[in-house]
Amino acid sequence: MELLSNLALGFATALSPMNLFLGFVGCLVGTLIGVLPGVGPIATIAMLMPLTLKVDPTGALIMLAGIYYGAQYGGSTTAILVNMPGEVTAVVTAIDGHEMAKRGSAGRALGIAALGSFFAGSVATLIIAAIGAPLTRLALLFGPAEYFGLMVFGLGLAIVLARGSVLKALIMVVLGLLLSTVGTDLETGQERLTLGIPELSDGVDFAVLAMGVFGIAEILRNLENPESRNVAIAQIGRLLPSREDLRRCFGPIVRATGIGSVLGILPGNGAVLGPFASYALEKKLAKDPSRFGRGAIEGVAGPESANNAGAQTSFIPLLTLGIPPNAVMALMVGAMTIHGLIPGPQVMTKHPALFWGMIASMWIGNLLLLVINLPLIGLWVRLLKVPYRLMFTTILLFCAIGIYSINNNPYDVYFTAFFGLAGYLFIKLGLEPAPMLLGFVLGRLMEEKLRQALALSEGSLMTFVERPVAAALLAIAAAVMLVAVLPAVSRSRQKAFQE
Amino acid sequence: MRRTIAVLVLSAFSSIAAAQAYPSRPVTIIVPFAAGGPTDIIARISGEYFSKTLGQQFVVENVAGAGGTTGITRGAQAKPDGYTIMMGHMGTHGAAPALYANLKYDPTKDFTPIGLVAGTPILIVARKDFPAANLKDFVARVKDPAAKVKQAHAGVGSVSFTTCTLLTSQLGAKSIVAAYRGTGPALNDLVGGQVDYMCDQIVNLVEQVRGGAIKAYAIATPERSPALPDVPTTKEAGLPDYQVSAWNALFAPKGIPQDVATKLNATLVAALDDANTRKRLLELGSVIPDKAGRSPQALQKLVESEVARWNPILKAYAQQ
Amino acid sequence: MAGMQGRILRQDFLGGLAVIGVAALAYWLARKLPASAAGGMGPGALPKGLAVLLGGLGILLLLNAFKSERLARWSVRGPLFVLGALMLFGVTVRPLGLALAGPILIAAAGFASSEVRWRETLVYGLAMTAFCVGLFKFALGLPIPLAPWLLGY
Repeated sequence: MELLSNLALGFATALSPMNLFLGFVGCLVGTLIGVLPGVGPIATIAMLMPLTLKVDPTGALIMLAGIYYGAQYGGSTTAILVNMPGEVTAVVTAIDGHEMAKRGSAGRALGIAALGSFFAGSVATLIIAAIGAPLTRLALLFGPAEYFGLMVFGLGLAIVLARGSVLKALIMVVLGLLLSTVGTDLETGQERLTLGIPELSDGVDFAVLAMGVFGIAEILRNLENPESRNVAIAQIGRLLPSREDLRRCFGPIVRATGIGSVLGILPGNGAVLGPFASYALEKKLAKDPSRFGRGAIEGVAGPESANNAGAQTSFIPLLTLGIPPNAVMALMVGAMTIHGLIPGPQVMTKHPALFWGMIASMWIGNLLLLVINLPLIGLWVRLLKVPYRLMFTTILLFCAIGIYSINNNPYDVYFTAFFGLAGYLFIKLGLEPAPMLLGFVLGRLMEEKLRQALALSEGSLMTFVERPVAAALLAIAAAVMLVAVLPAVSRSRQKAFQE
Repeated sequence: MRRTIAVLVLSAFSSIAAAQAYPSRPVTIIVPFAAGGPTDIIARISGEYFSKTLGQQFVVENVAGAGGTTGITRGAQAKPDGYTIMMGHMGTHGAAPALYANLKYDPTKDFTPIGLVAGTPILIVARKDFPAANLKDFVARVKDPAAKVKQAHAGVGSVSFTTCTLLTSQLGAKSIVAAYRGTGPALNDLVGGQVDYMCDQIVNLVEQVRGGAIKAYAIATPERSPALPDVPTTKEAGLPDYQVSAWNALFAPKGIPQDVATKLNATLVAALDDANTRKRLLELGSVIPDKAGRSPQALQKLVESEVARWNPILKAYAQQ
Repeated sequence: MAGMQGRILRQDFLGGLAVIGVAALAYWLARKLPASAAGGMGPGALPKGLAVLLGGLGILLLLNAFKSERLARWSVRGPLFVLGALMLFGVTVRPLGLALAGPILIAAAGFASSEVRWRETLVYGLAMTAFCVGLFKFALGLPIPLAPWLLGY
């Protein structure tokens, strides 16, 4: 069995003392920067690239990869504890995760996040090993029209995501879409909605938006309501998920692994859709959907597994084709190139030790991360007991430094403050930020793919009907949106009848 | 009178002292693009040599945005003491004045040129099933409006955009153009067959060509590249006017002390002769300038000629 | 009079107004962008279309206003000092470096909470800044300015 002999080679490479050490360092650093708001794998990998020149390429890549998926583990920590997603993909985790923390279940939330991520990471690694190459060919079939269909489907999810009124969720989604148009137009280079501010010519940064609307707004909310904050934190419940929790979350974790793995392969950062899709699916499948948004553990298990699965499978296009599907992978390309190893379709055959060594190290890395993160839960939970008057200034400082470091640009900090204000207004007006973030993420991709599809078809909308996959996705999207909107419409009709 | 002489002598000494002491602390190289791209890699490779020889860390700071102009603007406005320099390229110091109406710097006036570092040759590539066997057939199809040939680029202001615009304007052809956000997605759709052709730097494409995922028709430099020896030059293949390479160069803000500028240039010239640095740059497929091309004067001339060259071709895209 | 105030202070009433306001602003900002161009949509198509859609939804929200909840209390102190502290950090980090911008941020943010004790905050601010310097500057090597007025970087 070729797979087994390849895996043997991989593990032999990954378990060499140097590579093991580098993997451990990568995972540790990754967890750390995942926890820190703003600073993310991109900034860190860029920073550490020169250091990796002192070791061989395989070791260097193992370490950098560890930083990337390690950050997925760490990002959920701050999302759960203080509603500040340390990583873009942890935004969905923050919704129910932070609610759980407020009710004293931070330990269970952190625990299920780690366990779910480990399961998802292991399965995803297996997928890469077994069917990585053929899967890429599938991803290549996804042209702009198909991608657009997927994005519209994602929009349908946004409505399901909402806690309260459908109308308000729609408003937030459209607001997010509108925000995503700020910046330079892709085709003509013209500035759109930038108010003449040059720092906006590349659009709004997602981390800035998420940090402001989630994290800063949460600080403002807590400063206003000191009483409600202290009571919940006083009771720290179990430190780890119970057997009941594990039983409940098994289904969501498995489904999320599938969703995340598939989406991670798609170019253009399709992986970011994974957590949202998983959350929406679990909410729809749950016997009591109203629990979601109030601390449902499935709402943490699913998204966390999805984002870790996506992080692993996003290596596939890099390793099999040499085409990076997202910005972090583009950095990996750079790291490999600096070592004289330009990634491409022949990496698997020309450098098998590197290819299989990386895959093996991903599994080992996931195990290491579980070992690192589970004991830390006790520490994090104890951190919640720090008096808030000290905590919030610390969170603010970390946030400011982290945001500044994304682009070494003070304007990012100003924008975060602006979005913090916006987030505060949203809370007062009863508008939820999560659908807006989803709209924002989808908006860019959606518009890009729509215009590419139309450009390539010379303006013909028939392209969406003629291409089978695109047509199918759009049909499903329409169905999802109907299903989401109809109950609300019929409910209000019923109310009208009753009156 | 004595006081004046004393002041003059002292300042002469202090500037000599400053030159001898340069660099006395870490130097920042601003790279106006995201880490991992060709310009960033070239900056890091050369930065490493600088760090080793001059004894102080030359640290790369990525300030991406607006096709590279954000980072260059910051570099141009930095204190001219030699501790902030920047890596500019064909886009930021050649095409930018034509593309950005509100550009906050003038590539020909606001900088002290240090020297050319390396150029990345441009390849004309197509999806592997494209019905043209060589460059001549390719050109024929591109010129034929009935063939509806589709072009991809990585965004207005990117190298793939400016170089392909040059190609179509030289051929007098109009292709269906699809804009992508970055080289990754564009290349992905080229490999997937959703678009027909692209023009981009060799380092982004070399492994895909070698692996057969895409095919290369020509390289737009006077000589074939050792990285892809089977790909003919545009001169050989019938399009001698299409000569373009994404050159990368080091600049400093206007007005740095002359001795600092001289030192930087001397180190750069030595770097380009250093065996290790040369090897790594050549592995990328870059072209290293010869001795004559490494002087600051040669760079200044290049910048002026590039600005003049890109102006008429790209004026149509100037931002309002 | 009380009834009138009761109406205006409803969540959805102000919400609807705010949404319509944002939509109008967006449309105005995008007014010059062409909605259609060669080969499909122009740069203005999506911004204008979304602005119109948003405005419509805002009107719907407004119509729903009188059944919605009352507006909760707003406070000025928290937002003013927290956001102000952030802005101050942005302004001071490059000229003054992390060494000064950090304590300034913590001190300014301290005003936001009535629970803050001064000496404690001062000591804590300096200690936390030192920790951040060690973490971000030395351990992670981020190019954030430390103290340009003192060290030059």
